[in-house]
Amino acid sequence: MKVRVNDVELDLAPGTSAIDAVFAAGGDVPYFCSQEYMSPIGACRMCLAQVGAPRKERDGSWVMDEATGQPKIFWFPNLMATCTTQVMEGMVIDTLSERVKTAQNGMVEFTLINHPLDCPVCDKGGACELQDRSYEFGDGLSRFQFDKRHNEKHHPLSDLITLDRERCIQCKRCVRYFEEVPGDEVLDFIERTAHTYIGTADPGLPSNFTGNIADICPVGALLDASSRFRGRNWEYDHTRTTSMDDATGAAIIVDARTGRIERIKAALNPDVNKTWIDDGTRFGHEYADSPDRLTTPLIRRQGKLEPATWDEATAFIAERLKGLSGKDVGIAIRSDSTLEEGVAAMALAEELGTGQLDHAPRPAATLIGNQVATITDLATADAILVVGDLTEEAGVLDLRVKDALKGVTPPTLMPHGVPIADLRLKEHMPRQREILTVAAPYRVDLMRHAGATVRYPAGGEAAFFRALGKLAADANALLGEADEAAAGMSTGQARALVARLAAAKRGVIVLGGLALNRRESAEAARALVKAVGAKELAVGPMANSYGLELLGVLPSHERYGYAGMLDGAKALVLSHLDPAQDGEVAERLRGKDLLVVHDIFMTETAHLADVVLPAASVYERDGTVVNLEGRFLPVRAAPVDAGSSTDLTGVARALGEAMGKRLEGRSVRSARRVLKKRFDIDFAELPDHGLLPRAKSRGPVKALAGEVAAGTGNVLVVPSMARAEYLSRNRHLAAAVGGNRLRVNPEDAVKHNLTGGAEVRLKVGGTWRQAVVHVTDGVPRGLMTIPSLPEQPVGLAQADLAGIVVEQVRLEVAS
Amino acid sequence: MSDQVATAAKPAPILSRHDPRYEVTMYRYVGVEGAHTLDFYRSHGGYEAARKALTSMTPAQVIDEVKASGLRGRGGAGFPTGVKWSFMAPPDGKPRYLVCNADESEPGSFKDRYIMEDDPHQLVEGMIIGAYAMQMTFGFLYVRGEYYLGTTRMEAAIAEARAAGLLGKNILGSDFSFDITVHRGAGAYICGEETALMNSLEGLRANPRLKPPFPAAAGMYGRPTTINNVTSLTSSVHIINRGAAWFASMGTDDSKGTKLYQISGPVARTGVYEMPMGATFRELIYDFAGGPTMEPKAFIPGGSSTPMFPWEDRFLDMPMDYGTLAKNGSMLGTGGVIVIPRDKCIVDALYNLVRFYAHESCGKCTPCREGVGHWLPRMYQKLVSGLGRPEDVALLESVASNIKGNAFCPLADACIGPVQASLKWFRDEYEYLAANGKSKYAKNDWWQA
Repeated sequence: MKVRVNDVELDLAPGTSAIDAVFAAGGDVPYFCSQEYMSPIGACRMCLAQVGAPRKERDGSWVMDEATGQPKIFWFPNLMATCTTQVMEGMVIDTLSERVKTAQNGMVEFTLINHPLDCPVCDKGGACELQDRSYEFGDGLSRFQFDKRHNEKHHPLSDLITLDRERCIQCKRCVRYFEEVPGDEVLDFIERTAHTYIGTADPGLPSNFTGNIADICPVGALLDASSRFRGRNWEYDHTRTTSMDDATGAAIIVDARTGRIERIKAALNPDVNKTWIDDGTRFGHEYADSPDRLTTPLIRRQGKLEPATWDEATAFIAERLKGLSGKDVGIAIRSDSTLEEGVAAMALAEELGTGQLDHAPRPAATLIGNQVATITDLATADAILVVGDLTEEAGVLDLRVKDALKGVTPPTLMPHGVPIADLRLKEHMPRQREILTVAAPYRVDLMRHAGATVRYPAGGEAAFFRALGKLAADANALLGEADEAAAGMSTGQARALVARLAAAKRGVIVLGGLALNRRESAEAARALVKAVGAKELAVGPMANSYGLELLGVLPSHERYGYAGMLDGAKALVLSHLDPAQDGEVAERLRGKDLLVVHDIFMTETAHLADVVLPAASVYERDGTVVNLEGRFLPVRAAPVDAGSSTDLTGVARALGEAMGKRLEGRSVRSARRVLKKRFDIDFAELPDHGLLPRAKSRGPVKALAGEVAAGTGNVLVVPSMARAEYLSRNRHLAAAVGGNRLRVNPEDAVKHNLTGGAEVRLKVGGTWRQAVVHVTDGVPRGLMTIPSLPEQPVGLAQADLAGIVVEQVRLEVAS
Repeated sequence: MSDQVATAAKPAPILSRHDPRYEVTMYRYVGVEGAHTLDFYRSHGGYEAARKALTSMTPAQVIDEVKASGLRGRGGAGFPTGVKWSFMAPPDGKPRYLVCNADESEPGSFKDRYIMEDDPHQLVEGMIIGAYAMQMTFGFLYVRGEYYLGTTRMEAAIAEARAAGLLGKNILGSDFSFDITVHRGAGAYICGEETALMNSLEGLRANPRLKPPFPAAAGMYGRPTTINNVTSLTSSVHIINRGAAWFASMGTDDSKGTKLYQISGPVARTGVYEMPMGATFRELIYDFAGGPTMEPKAFIPGGSSTPMFPWEDRFLDMPMDYGTLAKNGSMLGTGGVIVIPRDKCIVDALYNLVRFYAHESCGKCTPCREGVGHWLPRMYQKLVSGLGRPEDVALLESVASNIKGNAFCPLADACIGPVQASLKWFRDEYEYLAANGKSKYAKNDWWQA
């Protein structure tokens, strides 16, 4: 519909807000309460403009202005908040008149009377919406002669978020965010009138998505506690990149200063994470600045690891490799290596002539199904079945599932980007919970939002999917009592779920690691996907699981896989993998002729290595990852000071030189030449939002599978937003999530004499795990859960419960 | 009747609310011992209107009757009640709610209180009629928290009505089912704003909601909802009983029927008086209330949020209806007239009023939270304590005009209206105070007592 903003004529879609009309026209009005992807509420009253529209006569014709011969414009008597005003045919918006300027200036003045104006010591200074808007729309003077409101300056809302209540301008973004985006209503206004402040009923912010409020706060009230007072905004190097924390590929900005990562903020990727990331992604970076990072290569001389140069280290490796047959060498990289690193690993394997090449962790089943849904498919689905704990495993997907529950399709981008005020969104929107079913062996957070939940016995994924498959094949089929028990649902429940999925036009089944790590359950799941005509979204264990499988960083034979090479290879090159945490594996590693470890810390395995090469952390690499929907996303290196550490392409270059070869993948650029041939994508020009190639441009998939998880066990290894392998070095995150939690049913806690908060050590599989006991009825009797490690993927495992060592007993504060 | 108003130039004083000159309908049994019981109400013709509506009229006929009566919302805004009722979408089998707004918190307003205390069944009946007309499935009665007696009387009346089959399933043998829950507010003026009231009822923070969607489209829990004032609903009882024509025969062109006017301040007989729409202020103040007991200088025409008028004949002889007051820059509001004595410093009086609004601002939008909630009361405090300077009056005016019309809901304008009116009529008192550091008229304890 035709709208005129000042002197600019626009043709806009019905339902557009007036503020978006102003911005689409290249104009500007200030705003504090509106926020992309959230409901407009018209609270800050900054975006006032003079708005008028023509009127129609009763016969449908326009009321004409006799002087101009045009439809007469009837101005609204009051200035309108443009964020909550919908455009109408013929609407005229004036943002430049004296009246509008006076009002905007007045609002700036009101907003500032209780704002402390402590910009010189405020972390938001230089990147503050209030600061910018006050300069642009205020007149620089205050006529307010009285005391400002005084309030708490350092209120810890949680271990991750500190609130300065004086700086708060009550825009309600954070309060609305919690209700609208993750659906965790943990924050609200308290008190009223000028005493209004935000706060919680109980201490803490129990949500996995709290950090986003620091991004959207228009002032310096809500601050990332881990980066408070660490630097000024203009001192940071901002690196727009892709998170390598989980398989979703969320867009982030890494802010580094003097060679350290100080904070991570969410960036916009409308097709992936919108502007939201989970706390694991945001706060899980502190390990990268840990003082015990490896910065130089180490070589074992006379039984001791000693610092060396890269030349010495690679010469040492080349020398030792000469004595070995190429196929005796195993190369394994972690699944969050970039595609470029994958190319380097493949080139190295080819050069050595070994088929013992793998990426780990790698699920039992392929991640590249026939009907892969996009994240947008998930956000617009009309029936969703989630198996696993999506909130912990892929936080972005959790939020996008909640988008689907609102039934509002993602907004169309406008010339200025995401609409500032999407009038389809409301506070406290009714959610279509009935479209969502969540199944897991224990209580997962997403179950609170689901219309139906299924708790099947641990390890029962295959039985669960088979039961559904049986009803998909024959709606009148009956499940036997044993089948019902194994699937955790009655025939009626299963039938209703199958009917909903089958009837849905845009059904999506999300398979977590629990479903993918056993071949039989993955097969049963895919049979169901096919039977009900849904799409699937398989959540790979790490950031580039999909990409490395697609690229083919895979063994030439099943027995040459990661598990096999730990056993069979005489020499090993391991990148970011720490198999020696398992005592038995460590014994076997001691017998290797050559063990090269490329990692960022002195891991258990590094301690056994002949050569240790310092690696670049995920924040220090240039490259490409492919997220779980098959989207190619750029990864860019932040300027972090980590000595001579390098990623695997650097290893390929140095090692190649030592061997007298110029390996493909010896640099990111060289690897990209290979990738371009393979995928026909110019990886150097990959857009920020990534590229989702059409299915036919995907290369042939060499699917290889081995059983990853055991079918039985007494401990369920579960996904965790906070990565267990780095949690001890992620101080703030560890405090917020309460450490690596061993979740125990109250009855089991009594049985095993465990108290909540106790720090314990237990042997899970062959690995000693440190954990903090958390007693909860969220896990069933006879089952404990513990966060996964790259070397200990999700699924059942056998733990020695009789041998749990209680190291320290602590009182757990009830949450 | 309106003729009578026009011709009664010097009427004899009315000494009692049972004066036969005007017929009393809604307040007939207020103040009568035992009138709050079902027995009393039924023996005085109670629930006959509900019976008539439910057994002999279709819901559409009830709405048409109310529309034809010309009844306008008695909560203050004056939106035609029948039109509002007709906004409801046809029933779809899912819940739809009637909410009675009994959060009577406007200073100067106290008409609903006595209905709930002394004649609660009249309101129950009004809610049944309204609910039947719009085919509501459930009703909520949101009572101001301070109205303890009113709450208990309403609860008792609803229990009595339920026991007698007047609420619950198949009321009066019809196939219409309806029940009412009483909810006591927690003492926030903003809850009188209908969308904030709905938030409060839902257990949320009482902030006004964005409109649209209007409550008739998506109100309580996202379902169609209509919110009516107590006396809008009780008026409908008499409209159904006696017909729209009877109701429409009273009042002026744009304001029909009778209304409960309240009067407070220094007058001989403060209280609630039921008069036809269009009666004059003079009639209310002199004839009913017995005239001022102190020399007056101004009066607030319709509850504290309506801009005041100086004590001049042209205003005193104004008919109390929606149109005339709007034309003269004020509002009929709830019809709560407050008389302001001459010897009361107007700045001090406004300080009292501004503090009320500062205390009651919900904190949602910037101009109200910071301007009404923080800045204005401090400016008044400065003036009243004698620390003002001449330029402060202009500053006050400027701040007030920055707030006016720019806030999210009418609460801020409800504060600014009286402020601006006081500046318009009594600017000299402001200037005197700012220049001399003391009021032209002594600050009067009586006002604050």
